[in-house]
Order: sequence, then structure tokens, then C-alpha cells
Amino acid sequence: MSDHASIQQEHPQHWETSIWPLIMAVGILVALPLGFTFKFAYNQPLAAVLCLGVGVPLIIAAVAGWVNEAITGGEGLSAPAMGWFILAEAMIFVSFFASYWYMRLTAPDWPPGGTPELPVVLPLVMTTALVASSLTFHAGEVMLGRGDRGRFVAWLVVTMLLGSAFIGMSLYEWAHLFGQGFNFETNAYSTVFYTITGFHGAHVAVGLGIFLAMLVPALSRRTNDGFVRTAGVYWHFVDIVWLFVVSQVYYW
Amino acid sequence: MNVLKEWIFTTDHKRVGILYLIGSLAAFAVAGIVAMLIRIEHTTIGPTITNNPHDYNVWLYFHGAAMILGFQIPVLTGYFANYCVPLMIGAKDVAFPRLNALSVWLFYAGIVLALATFVMPDPPDVLWTGYPPYSTITSGNTAFYTFTVLLIGFASILGGVNFLTTIAFMRAPGITWNKLNVFVWSIFAAFVLQLIFVPVLGSAVTLITFDKYLGTTFFDPTKGGDVLTYQNLFWFYSHPAVYVIFLPFIGIVYEILATFAKNRVFNYKMVVYGGFGGIVLLTGEVWVHHLYVSGMADWIRVGQMVTTLLISVPVGLVVIGLVGTLYKGAITFQTPMLYALGTLFLFLIGGLTGIPLAVASLTIHLSDTYYVVGHFHYVMAVAGTFAIFGGIYYYFPKMTGRMYNETVGKLGFWITFIGTNVVFWTMMDIGVKGMPRRYFDYAHFPQFEFAHQIMTVGALFIGLGFALAIFNWIHGALKGEKAPDNPWGSKSLEWTTATPPPSGNWKEIPKVAEDWHPYAYGNR
Repeated sequence: MSDHASIQQEHPQHWETSIWPLIMAVGILVALPLGFTFKFAYNQPLAAVLCLGVGVPLIIAAVAGWVNEAITGGEGLSAPAMGWFILAEAMIFVSFFASYWYMRLTAPDWPPGGTPELPVVLPLVMTTALVASSLTFHAGEVMLGRGDRGRFVAWLVVTMLLGSAFIGMSLYEWAHLFGQGFNFETNAYSTVFYTITGFHGAHVAVGLGIFLAMLVPALSRRTNDGFVRTAGVYWHFVDIVWLFVVSQVYYW
Repeated sequence: MNVLKEWIFTTDHKRVGILYLIGSLAAFAVAGIVAMLIRIEHTTIGPTITNNPHDYNVWLYFHGAAMILGFQIPVLTGYFANYCVPLMIGAKDVAFPRLNALSVWLFYAGIVLALATFVMPDPPDVLWTGYPPYSTITSGNTAFYTFTVLLIGFASILGGVNFLTTIAFMRAPGITWNKLNVFVWSIFAAFVLQLIFVPVLGSAVTLITFDKYLGTTFFDPTKGGDVLTYQNLFWFYSHPAVYVIFLPFIGIVYEILATFAKNRVFNYKMVVYGGFGGIVLLTGEVWVHHLYVSGMADWIRVGQMVTTLLISVPVGLVVIGLVGTLYKGAITFQTPMLYALGTLFLFLIGGLTGIPLAVASLTIHLSDTYYVVGHFHYVMAVAGTFAIFGGIYYYFPKMTGRMYNETVGKLGFWITFIGTNVVFWTMMDIGVKGMPRRYFDYAHFPQFEFAHQIMTVGALFIGLGFALAIFNWIHGALKGEKAPDNPWGSKSLEWTTATPPPSGNWKEIPKVAEDWHPYAYGNR
């Protein structure tokens, strides 16, 4: 026992630290729960904007700092860990779909009154864009495996453009449907439509954020194979979920 | 200043674990005080300390939510998992230390939202269950309930990702799956459950907030929704949550029993694969027994009755393993051992009183009475808390490098143990006789006033016993005698490092001998 103590006194221990997890947690707390509550529960839009103004920059700073710290060290286990995370993510979609199926199968008639004609062509274009983005990301990954950082960055940018186009089309469609009086409160179909497509769209947006966090260091020639592979697994998952969304919500 | 920085920015698994411990014990203390308020309120028929039934609803909300989401799950899957798992598997840290730190701070964010209950206008008043339609029409702030669940749930999912990866890939050479501590297995099983089921709870509470604030119609029958959707989603998580609590606390009890009985774990493979594995496989198929009186077809009721009764088979394997571990052991009765044996006793009562509740015909009589409250406090709340307190006593010397006071520890145990049985046995008794749960005022049941007074006295005993334990820890951590590296003479790997363990745990990754086993106490 005294041996340990004397060793510790001669060489003070170095404890690993990182400031970014705490910053990110504070950012999330301020931006989401407080922002949402001020806007919707207490009807204080100004306070809500203030919360977003403080919280969102904190989150962005935390992501940037975190990536900066982690990109040089190989966190080699992140791809299998993403597998576990996808299990959890899949369960969220399963519960949304279960609620949807339950509502739909017990409804007297479907679609319920007040539902306009949903577009048929646009979802096909969106599907094409998202599937293509999975392929372009894979192409980038292959290029990185060959050590060609320049082509990797090019394919990454193409992937991000396709993802942004997807989000743009989704927002356009939401605006279009809102214009026809089909909003959150219309009926059971609008409820599941906006919840499921919105939740999937949020995943696409998070994916784009991850790509951005990968792109910035890649421009200064810093990449991490584990990071790229993990992001790829996530992106392919988001892509596959979309096939369920589009077949269940649009074409059934 | 530097020391403070090394704590709040820490990514070391032991310090993250201790941060979890401090936060969850704070939640436990406040939720415990609120429980006292609930009990004191029931000392007399009619209003006792508040005239406002709304206050009572807020107390019930906070007590339930904070005890389950703020205390039991974080202390078990946060503190114990963080502190013990890397030490038990011979790793220098978890797989993702920064992610681990993010988990603990998200948990603190959730605790902050929960504690805001006492200072904010219109606090949540939806119990810990948040059933619609009440939760979507109340003037209380349901959004804070939702976000508390989401923050702590997200912390839990990140923890699950972290620990499953750690256990799968970072075991020291020679520590095979069949040589893992039972506690490591229990954490593995609990986190598999968390990953599968927490997202469903997250969806359920998100949908009530969407319904309340954004106007969606998931639970509004006038627009095609159904309130039962929520109950199904909620209990699809919240029944497995019982096992998320049960598995780690019984894992701790295994560690304590093996050490203080100086004995092998009885039927190790049957406990781990049959018991824990069986629970993981079955626990997702029993949630409907929480909805027996909500209305459903008879064939569903019968099916769920069968699966619910069936799950007592793997649970039985786990309990037999505990008793078998004591068999022919050289038992000594230090404080951790008393708490562990207390857990076994309380869990048996709780488990056996659960069988009538699984039977659909009996449940129609017992549902929403104090019998249910008494049952789940026995089986989950106090059995779990006794295991947690035993575990904290058990790891106290390793964690702080000092010893607690044995006499005060034992005194605290006996006071709590007596109080617990007085309160919850009485509760089950008057429940069978018809006392409904969640009533602010029981003027229609004056015959139970004396029983309520007995329970209030018992509750004060519980509070005193737990307060003694916490006082004992604070005093021991500051003033206790120096502890040796392995005060209990355990064979398990976590006791081979220095006390308290340094940063990085070991100078180099430990190598275990060919015939090493965490419970190799010789042939007995």
C-alpha cells in the first residue's frame, strides 16, 4: 500500500480529460428541452430563440472540438459500436411504424377525410437521390482505402449534395402539403406522415452534419478510416429505413 | 483548480462512475424525502400537510420518475457498470471514454430537468407513467417529463453502445466469456435490453409531447388515435426496465455472496445462459400484463398470463444459483453481506407476491390497489436499493481507499430492513382488503387509517436507516482508516489493482493464469 503511495507522489498521475462532452451536454440541454419548452409550453418565443442561440453554437463547437481530438487517435471499435446503436435506432422506427399500423388497421376507412392526393413522382426522385448517395459514399470509401484523399473528398461532396437535395425536396413537399391544408392536426394520416417523414429527415440531417464534420478536417488532409466506415454504416442504415418509409407511408 | 478540472472534464471510467454515483444518490435523497411527504400526508384522513391534491400528484410523479430513471437505472448501469466492468475484465478504460463522459453529463441534464419540478410554474403531474389523455390535457408541463426521459434515455443508449463494445472487444487475454464475472454478464444483458427497449419509451413520450404541443392525434380517439397505443409502447419498455434494474442488482448480489461465502458461483452457466439469457428472450413478451384491466381480447390475456408465469423459470434459475452459492460456504456477515442477504429475502417476497398479479382473474381484483404498490416496491424498489447499498459498501474500500464504520453500517441495515417490511407488508395487506392506490384522500376507507399511521412510522425508519448509511459513507470517505487492496479476500480481478485504482487501472494489461476464475475459492 505504501509502495503505491510513494510511486504516486514521485510521479503525479495524469488523468485523461476532455472538455467537449460537457460542452455538448450543456448545448443539448439548453437548445432542445429548454428551447422547446419556452416556445411551446410557456409561449415565450424570444426566450426560445435565445436558448437556440446559445445551445446550437455550443453543440457545433463541441462536435468540432471532439472531432479534432479524436481524428488522430484511431477509435478502432466505432464501427461495431455503430451496429449496436443502429439496433436502438431501428427500434424507434419500429415503434413509430407499429403505432402507424395499429392506427391504420383499426381505422374504419383509410385514408381518413381531409387527406389530399399525395405526390407520386417526387418520392421516387427522393428515393433515387438517397440510394445514389449511398453508392457515392461507398465510392468515396473505396477511394480512401486506396489512399486517394482527393477523390474521397470529391465523392463526399457529391454525397452531401445528394443528401441536401433530398432534404430540400422533403421540405418542398411539406410546404406544398401544408398549403393544401394538410398539417400536423388534420387527421391520423397527417400525424403519422409528418412524424415518420420528419423523424427520418432528421436522421438525414444528422448524417449531413457528420459528413460536414468529416469534410472539414479532410480538406486539411486529416482523415480517420474508422470514422469514415462508421459514418458509412449509419448512412446506409438511414437509406434502408427510407425504403420502409416510402413504401409504407407513400405507396400503401 | 487542477483537481477540479480533472474531475469535471474527466473521461476516466472510475471518475465518470463516481459522478454517476453522486448524481443518482442526490436524486435518491430528494425522491426519498418526497416519499416521506407522501407517507406523512396519509397519516390522517383528509389533508394533513397540503390542501392541494395537485401537490400530491407532483410528488407521485417525482418520486416514481426520480427513483427509477434518476436513481436505480443510473446507479446500476452508470455507477456500478462504469466502476466495475473495466476493472473486472482487465481493461484500462471503456471503449469510448469521451462518449462515456457525454453519457454522464446528459444524465445530469436529465436530473436538472427533474429537479426543476420544485421551482418551475406548472410542474409535470403525470406520475412516472405519463398516461394520456391526462398527460396531453393537463396544465402541467408534460414536455419536461418527456425531455427528462429522453435525456436520461439517450445517456443510457450511449452507455449501452459503449459497454457492449467494451465487454465484447476489450477483455484481457485469457478472460473468456465463461470466465466473466456474473456482474459483467448481468450488465451485458441489461444493456442489450436497454438498447432494444429504451427507444420505444423514447418514442412513446415523444408522441405525447407531439400530441400535446404540436397537435398530432396519436392518442386522440376523436381523430383516429388510440390511448392504448401509448400504454402498449410505454409498458413495452417499462416492463423490461424492471429487468434492466433486476439483472445488475442481482449481479452485485452474486459478487457479494461469492466473496463473503468464499465459494464458487453455483451453476454458473445455468445462471448466465439459462437465467439471464432466458430473461432477455422472454421479457419483451410480457408487457400486456400491465394492461389486463385496460380492455383486450381474452386470448391475449391468457397468452400474456402464460408468458408472464413462464418468466419465473429463468428468474428461478437465478435465485437457485444465489442460494446454491451460499451452500457449504464459509459465510461471514459484514455489512455488504447483510444487505445482499436482505436483497435475497425481499426479492423472494416480492417475486412470490407477483405470481397472483400474473393471473388475469386475480388481477382484476388486485389492480390499482396498494397490493400492487407493495409488490413492486418489494421486488424492484427495495430489493434493488438494498443490493445497491450493499454494493456501495462492498466497493467502498476500493473506491475511496478507506474503510467505513462496520457498527454503523449494520445498525443502518437493520433499521432499514425492519422499516421496509413494516411499510410494504402492511401495504400489501390493506391492498388485498381494498385500499386503492394513488388516492390523495382516503375518506371512503377510514378503516385503513391506523395501517397508514403504522406505515408512516415504518417509512421514517427506512429514512433513518438510509440516512445512517449515507452518513457512514461520507464520514468513512473523509475520516475512515486506510483500506488494504483486498479487504474481503476476493479472487476477482478488480481487487488486484491498487486502492484506490490509479488512472489507467494497471501499469500493463493483466495476464491471468490458465486455471484462473473470478470465483476460484478451492474445492468446497
